[in-house]
Order: sequence, then C-alpha cells, then structure tokens
Amino acid sequence: MPEGGTYFGQYVTIGIFALVGVVLVLGTLQLAKLVAPNVPDTDKYTTYESGIDPIGSGWAQSNVRYYIFALLFVVFDVEAVFLFPWAIVFERFGTQAFVEMVIFIGILAIALLYAAKKKVLEWQ
Amino acid sequence: MNSPIDLHAITPELVLAGTACLVLIADLFLPEDGKWLAVPLSAAGLIGTLAAIVSLLGEHRITLDGSFEVNSFSLLFKGLFAIIGLFVLAISLDHFRDGKYYQGEYYFLMLCSLLGGFVIASSRDLISVFIAIELISIPAFVMTGLRKRDSRSNEAALKFFLFGVLSSAVMLYGMSLIYGFTGGLTNLGEISTALAGKADEPIVILSVFFIVVGFAFKISAVPFHFWAPDTYEGAPSPVAAFLSTSSKIGGFVGLLVLMYAAFPSVAEAWRPAFAALAILTMTVGNLIALRQRNIIRLLAYSGIAQSGYVLVTFALIDPNNLDVTRQAFQSALIYLAIYGVMDLGAFAAAVAFARKGGSYFIDDYSGLFQRNPALALMLAGFLISLAGAPPMAGMWAKLFVFLAALEAQSYILAIVMGINAVVAAWYYLAVVKRMFFEQPEAQEPVEVTNVLYAAMAVATVALLAFLPGINFLTEMVERSTPF
Repeated sequence: MPEGGTYFGQYVTIGIFALVGVVLVLGTLQLAKLVAPNVPDTDKYTTYESGIDPIGSGWAQSNVRYYIFALLFVVFDVEAVFLFPWAIVFERFGTQAFVEMVIFIGILAIALLYAAKKKVLEWQ
Repeated sequence: MNSPIDLHAITPELVLAGTACLVLIADLFLPEDGKWLAVPLSAAGLIGTLAAIVSLLGEHRITLDGSFEVNSFSLLFKGLFAIIGLFVLAISLDHFRDGKYYQGEYYFLMLCSLLGGFVIASSRDLISVFIAIELISIPAFVMTGLRKRDSRSNEAALKFFLFGVLSSAVMLYGMSLIYGFTGGLTNLGEISTALAGKADEPIVILSVFFIVVGFAFKISAVPFHFWAPDTYEGAPSPVAAFLSTSSKIGGFVGLLVLMYAAFPSVAEAWRPAFAALAILTMTVGNLIALRQRNIIRLLAYSGIAQSGYVLVTFALIDPNNLDVTRQAFQSALIYLAIYGVMDLGAFAAAVAFARKGGSYFIDDYSGLFQRNPALALMLAGFLISLAGAPPMAGMWAKLFVFLAALEAQSYILAIVMGINAVVAAWYYLAVVKRMFFEQPEAQEPVEVTNVLYAAMAVATVALLAFLPGINFLTEMVERSTPF
C-alpha cells in the first residue's frame, strides 16, 4: 500500500475497498447468471412468486397530508438529537444550559403553534 | 470550551432573531386586513438592531470560542444589512398588501435571511461561515416561490434552489478538504497560519477553487450566473430587490472574510482566478444587459456586471504589499455600500412604476417624465449612479476600484473596467433617454405610494450626499480595515 499515512494515501485505501465492493457484486451476479438454470414460466414473473397476488398498480398515491406530518416530525426529531447531548452536560452547566434549552424549545414551539394555527394538524 | 457567551456582542443578532419570531407569531393572530402590520413591527425590530449596533461601535469583541468577532468591519456590514432591510420593507409594503401574498411568512423569512447576513459579517470560522451563508440562502428560496400559483415564480424558485444547493455542496466540499488538509482546523486565522507557504499544493488550490466557485454562484458571477435573471424576473419584485442586494452583499462579505482572513497566505494561487472571473463577469453581464427589454432583467444583468467590478478588488490582493491590499479591501467596502443603496433605489423605482399605470417593459418607460416627473428624475439618478457618472455617488464606487487597480499595476483589469463602464453607460442612459425625450404611449399619470416616494427620496439624497461627503464613507471604511 503506498504510504497510508498521507492524506491522499488514505484515499487509495478507500479506492481499493470500493473497487473490491463493485467487483464482488458484479462478479456474483455474473456467476449466478452463468451457473443458474433458466426455466421461465408465468408464475416466476409475478411480483411475489409465492405470495399474495398484488392488487392495483404500484404507483398508488399517498395522501399529501402525510408530507406535512413528516416535516413536523423532522423538526422534533432534530430537537431530540440536540436534547441528548444537552442532558449529558446539563449538570455541569446548570441554569445557563436550562435557559438555553428553554429558548431553543420555545423557538420550535413557535413552529408547532404556526402549524396548529394554519390548521395542518387537523385531519379533515 | 466552557467560556461564557458575550451576550452584548451578539445583541444585534438576538434582537433580529427575536423580531423574526415575533413577526411570525403576530401574523398568526392578526386579521387578514391587518397583516401588513408585520411591516412596522419588522421596521421597529430593525431600528432596534441599529441601536444595538450603535451600542457596540468602537468595540472589539471575540466570543463563541473565537468563531464570532465583533469589530468595525462586521458592524459596518450589519448596519448596511439593517438599512437594506428597512428599504426592502418599504418596497414590499404595498406590493404584498395588495397582492394577497403570505405577508407574515414573507417578512419572517426576510428577517431570517438578513440574520444570516448579520452572522456572516462576524463569522471567523468555516462552520459559522457556512451556516450563515445557508441562513441567507434558504429563506430566499422560499421567498422566491412565494407566489405559489404562478408558474414563473415556481420556475424561479426551483432554479434558484437547485443552483443554490449545488453551490453549497461544492463550497462545503472545498471546506471539508481544507479541514482535512490542515488537520482539523476550522478557525479562519489558524487556517491562514497553517496554509502559509503551501500555495503550490494541489489540494489547497483545489479546495480554495471549490469554495470560490460556491461563492461565485451566490454572487452570480459569470459563468455561474444563469439562475439570476430568471430568478429575479419570476420572483416577486421586492424579493428580486432583496436578492440582488442583501443576498449578493452577503455572499461578498463571506468572500471578504474568507479571502482576507483564511486564505491570504496562498493569494498567489487564487488571484489569477479572480482576475478571470472579474473580466468575464463585467464583460458578459454588460453585453447581455444591452439587449434586455424587461427592466428587472436589465437590473439583473447590470447587477451581474456590478459584481464583476467588486471581483476586481479580489484580484489585487497581495500579501507582500499591504498598501495595495488595504486599498483593494477598502474599495470593495465602498463599492458594496454604494451599490446596495443605488440598486435598491432602482428596484424601488421599477416596482413603483409597475404598480399602477406602468409595467416592467422598458418600452413602456417612454415619456415617463411627462407622466410622473419625480419618479423619472429619481430613477434617472439611480441609473446614472449605476453607470458610475457624476453627480451621483456611484462614480466614487467605480473610481476607487479603478484607482486600486492602477495602484496594483493591474493595467489590464483597469482597462477592461474602463471599457465596461462605457458599455454599461449605454444601456443605462438608453432608459434615461427614453424617459425624457420620447413621447408616452399612455397618458394616464403614474401613481406612486408615499412610502415608495420616501424610500426613493432617502436613497437619492444619500447618493447625492456621498458625492461631496465621500470623506465620511472613506473614514468609516478606513476604520473598518482590520489590518
């Protein structure tokens, strides 16, 4: 391996891994194609060969309202990400940490208030 | 690590963020015909931030672990952003009140984008620079697409969004390479020290190149300018005014911070790139502007060309020649300050004309002097200023950059700049000629609201006053030079 210590040298390692990964996938697929017997019949072309017959097309629409719920979920999911490290250092920082987190959650609460006032939380 | 936050240093940002939240909440409880009250509320908040900025004048504070610096440079730009914000509020008021837009959301987003400008002026760390530039851009994407039933507005927003995200990605990649190369540094001053004497390392050149390309998108420098005219045209016109001033100046502040604080030690690696960028931006912007028939597109291309003049100053930076570097830095500051005022003035006039009795087509400007003399005179003033001719302050903006180029002995840049100034004068003066010397097709008078009159009058007075009063500006800029 050419000097793995340098900045570019580390990319060589990554490159080798990527190459091995690609060869592995393509090689196995190719091998399966060569080795496997090929006996097509109509049952084998269904979506789930031994499962329940699918009803309707795969392009079903989902309700656009889910999108807004997903967005709101992301807001509070990110809040949780920040709450965990905060909880760990909470004892060390005391009141300051508490006030900062109240402000942070307050700003996020405005988002919730906004959503509620715009009636996106009601499922009509 | 555990240093207390200097709250006084971040008061302008706190006031602005508080105002933004307040505007959003107030909008939820205001009745439909009272939603315009978000404007006086935002204006009060911006005046509050100006007060906070004044309270910090002359201070030098560093907080948030060295990533946030308050000095005269950052205060100068914070003041400029606050003033731009007030102007944009004045331009927006009637446009949005009559148009059944989402007013509360618009003013909230505008204040958020301004907050990004505030933060970038103080950022001294790769991470905060990046967050600030995103804070400028992301609300701007939404503001562009505010007319969501209008396909042009959608197109504008989509183009702006795709280009914006692409440029952020490229910029972030460059920053990550710098981070890796310097062994995990994000503080700009430390990066500058670590990069000293590394100007011929390919990875340094590559990463600075990526960062510059990212910013070139934001400031719509040629060849990364394609989004700008379409976006300005499709967006609500006050948003176009905001994009071409606040958003663009924000990009330039980011470039100033990075190029003067983080990468001066490798200046010889990126100086030629800026020279090429400047020449292309000036020339292409002006040549395409010659053929525009829509005033917003004309201003968009003129704005591109104006970016080119500022880019010239970056091509002059020479770490071995402090005098030239100082002059380049100061001319960029003067240019941006004057450009902000004159461009907003021109946009205000365009919005005022299109509101009642006019349109955005340059053909319809024929004989405007007979229909509304005050509007015609003020618009002529802004266009003459953009062209860089006396008696308006725009002359100083170009002159200082020109002198800096001569001082640095970059004669080619100076010559290209001179030729471009002449080309630009052609299309600005063509509009002026149309307004004064041609017969109007429609006779009805053009009505302009008092708020717009006031905004344009303030801009005109400022531009006229800076012609004799340039010493005030140069002194302020002199004090804002941190080196």
